[in-house]
Amino acid sequence: MLRRFFPKMKARVGSCVLLALLVFSAQVISQQSAEGGDDSVRQTSASQTWRSVEQLTDWERQRVDLRTETPRNKDIPYLPAEPYPFTAPFTAEEMGYRTMDFTHTARWSHVMADAFGTITKAGYLSQGVTVGMIDQMLSPNAQSQIFKQPGEAYSRHMYYYTYPPKNDGVQEMWILRRSGLEAPAKLDYFAYTPSLRRVRRQPPPRRETSFPGVVQSFDDILGVESWEFDWRLLGADVLHETVRFPNNRPQITLSSANGKFYDVATDSIKLMKERYPFYREDGGVNCFVIESTPKREWLADYEVSKIIYWLDQYYFYPLRIERYDAEGKLKMVEVRIAEEENTALPNGQGFASSLVVYFDAQLDLISYSLHDAHLIRDWTEQDLAQFTPDFMRRRWLKYPQKSQSMVSVPEQFYLRPDLLEGRFPEQRPVSVSPAIAARIEAQNKTGHLVFDIDE
Amino acid sequence: MVNVFRKGLGVLSGSGSCSASGSAAKFSFLTAKNTTLALLCCAFSGGALAQDTFAAFERSMATFDPGGKYLTKPVERFVPGLSLNGTITHWSDYLVSGDDDIGFRERDFRGLQMQSVVEIAASYRFSPNLELTSINHFLYDALYDVSNADGLYADRVDESFRKYDSFDRIARELYVSYRTPKLDVVLGKQQIAWGKMDGQFIDAINSMDFRESVQLEAADYEMRRLPLWMANVTYYFDDVSLNVLWIPDFEANLNPGYGAPWSSPLLPPGDDTARNNQALLDERSNPAGDRVLQTERPDWTHLSDHQIAARLDFANGALTWGLVYFYAWERDATPFITGRFSDGDGDHLIITPSHERLHHFGATSDYAWVASGVPLIGTLPMVFRAEALYTKDAHFIDYKNRGAVRAGGSGDGVSEHDTLRAALAFEFAFPSKVTAIFQPSFYYTFDWREGLGVGFGGAIGDEWNFAPVLFVSRPVQSTRDRLLLSVTLTPYLSGSNKDYQGSKTRLVASYEISPFFNGSLIYTDYSGGDDDDLFGQYQKYDNIGIELQYEF
Repeated sequence: MLRRFFPKMKARVGSCVLLALLVFSAQVISQQSAEGGDDSVRQTSASQTWRSVEQLTDWERQRVDLRTETPRNKDIPYLPAEPYPFTAPFTAEEMGYRTMDFTHTARWSHVMADAFGTITKAGYLSQGVTVGMIDQMLSPNAQSQIFKQPGEAYSRHMYYYTYPPKNDGVQEMWILRRSGLEAPAKLDYFAYTPSLRRVRRQPPPRRETSFPGVVQSFDDILGVESWEFDWRLLGADVLHETVRFPNNRPQITLSSANGKFYDVATDSIKLMKERYPFYREDGGVNCFVIESTPKREWLADYEVSKIIYWLDQYYFYPLRIERYDAEGKLKMVEVRIAEEENTALPNGQGFASSLVVYFDAQLDLISYSLHDAHLIRDWTEQDLAQFTPDFMRRRWLKYPQKSQSMVSVPEQFYLRPDLLEGRFPEQRPVSVSPAIAARIEAQNKTGHLVFDIDE
Repeated sequence: MVNVFRKGLGVLSGSGSCSASGSAAKFSFLTAKNTTLALLCCAFSGGALAQDTFAAFERSMATFDPGGKYLTKPVERFVPGLSLNGTITHWSDYLVSGDDDIGFRERDFRGLQMQSVVEIAASYRFSPNLELTSINHFLYDALYDVSNADGLYADRVDESFRKYDSFDRIARELYVSYRTPKLDVVLGKQQIAWGKMDGQFIDAINSMDFRESVQLEAADYEMRRLPLWMANVTYYFDDVSLNVLWIPDFEANLNPGYGAPWSSPLLPPGDDTARNNQALLDERSNPAGDRVLQTERPDWTHLSDHQIAARLDFANGALTWGLVYFYAWERDATPFITGRFSDGDGDHLIITPSHERLHHFGATSDYAWVASGVPLIGTLPMVFRAEALYTKDAHFIDYKNRGAVRAGGSGDGVSEHDTLRAALAFEFAFPSKVTAIFQPSFYYTFDWREGLGVGFGGAIGDEWNFAPVLFVSRPVQSTRDRLLLSVTLTPYLSGSNKDYQGSKTRLVASYEISPFFNGSLIYTDYSGGDDDDLFGQYQKYDNIGIELQYEF
């Protein structure tokens, strides 16, 4: 299916040329950025990584379009007139649309093992593994979602849980649909439970409500649809770390697509792995920081006041996402490590979430999701018969992808993300309770989670 | 540092300050104050210590999986392609409403079950398409050994009430599956669950172990279905699938008869008589002293005795629907009157129980949508399900005709009626993870008349039954959703003869002890209705139960 839209050869040649150009320009730009640029040197202190809109560098100013009112699509007025994927300069809204390329699950057809887990403040650890089969029904990016009619399906996900034993054989099917004012449902949701042996349609999850026992919500997994939000640029920042491994976990075992396991030193894992060409000299990633607020005519009861994104400045990959509750308090921090899994795609569209950590800043709950054994698939017509609810009744784990990336003991769980206090203080009220602050201090001091903290 | 301080405080209070509180002879305001402070310290540090200890216990429990560590994982490593799972489950239910005799039952027991089941499931993958699966159950109900109650003797009727000791029971499922993306072939002993509802509507393929009678819940079906040898073939078109079953095998239902905890109080004769009447227990006689001949069962060696079923499913966006047909045998034998005889006690009937053919026609459907602008709630995701099974010529005991035959009239004491069982379900996802399901269920016997017994799919004791079931569940967020509370209300309405046959209320608190261990506390209440009604007869069977499960 991918070949129909992106013939491999053309895509590879195209992406090579583009990559070369980007690498060249990025090196020049990175040097400028790394040195701070005239504006930033003048207006920010040496230790301050973030800059407001007024403090953007010249290159950044050329990269962004600060207008908030832009021409609209004549057929669908809530879309920008400029066609996706847009060209520079980018408005905040256009960056928001580009983030749709980088949902939690990669935007192309593939199979992967998703190892996930959650830990409480007391150290109660629960983990699982599910094998996902994804059918991206049209193009391997957000385009198929944006230009579908409201209510039309654009992607189908099948999940087969293999761990823990109590969940072995539990399956889910998600049929993702493009939303619209007249078609607010984002998915058809089916579940198969071995104990019931029945495929049952489920009510779609409430979008902003976390799944049982974990931090992430349905919208955290599937991403928001940009037309449901207003967007604005807050400024720029540099991220040097996102997901933080504990110091007692020196390596992690990962799996390649063919099932072969290999060990990786955790301190060698970069924010966007090795293939990202735009790292700063200090290893950081230059980001734009944008804020989205729900349009109440679309999301009248949405219990989120705003979402703030740190996007890499070249592909608009969201490396950090913060969600604020209806009262404006920080609710959730999501940090990501990404990897270019699909090198055939241009413009960095082949980057996908490799490891994501979610932190509930109110409940002090930490969850992770690690995508392992990523196998790109080009589904045949016969294969597509697998993407129906009734397929789950067969209890057929066709692709037995495995993961050995799970955490062995609670103390080796991922650290709570850095709260980045002090950055964009007017827009980011990032306070946490004293008890959580004490636990964060303890983890930062010891280098791993600490559970016996006096509250 | 903080942790060290707390431990130090605990040691101090334990060794010195607490003992000071016992020095009553030196009691003064000062000592009282000190004592109070010390007690507070004790309480605080003790509580904190307990909290710490519990947290440490929880952390260790979260990764405590001896079955996985020492059995399944080593075996799976040793035999590539083998997948091994185990489950150990224990259920205990105890009556809370006394141990008085009720109806014909000598109810001198409190326990309703003390049942443990070990399940070992293994599947071996010969290739990505070919797999052999074996699921084995080892059941033991200690109730019959622990209790000395005279009212519990069902194990004398059927040993499977006490334990599984035959290949037929232990080897629950054993099948070979061959799968391609479009074709699925499963040959062997298996269970099939059709339908989407809570409760059994088109779920009619397998017979059932009804030992828990009215307390059999949808979550128990997996455990209580009686698997059958069959060929199960499914072909998948784009959005349509066709499933065909060919079933040479047959199993009758297992019902809670004499000596079982859930034996109906309405079933004569009394236990003091029944337990000493071996002919009755062996089903060679009945309470009226009639002679009951051997049950005529389907014979798998006769092709014409095999059962056949087909199911067609369609998926169309927000709507999915399906049609089913099942050429089946009745699970319970129909007691036909085939003659009469006289002995010293008078005239009696000769009864020949026979399993009869049935035609089942069914439909199932579900539809999802999201309602916007719902007052107080806003957005409300919901699902609508509908399911129905129409059964042709189900057999009912006709007690009026049987009485007439006993008095010298003609007939076989049986009446044929079509039946319908159907349900609608509305499932809502409310805020705060509250799930609510409202499921009105309907049972109807066509051409019903007074004096009919019970037949497949029909109303019980009446022309129609209506059970508007309400289920609400909510996880407790402070436990990180590990504690799940739920309530199920099942009022049983009836017409045109009776109005109300009582109700059942089920309260469940289920707690995830660890990713591998789960525990539930269940309270079931029966109230309302008359002594001869479905739930009314069990008014004094309110019970509390625990369920513990370890999966590895």
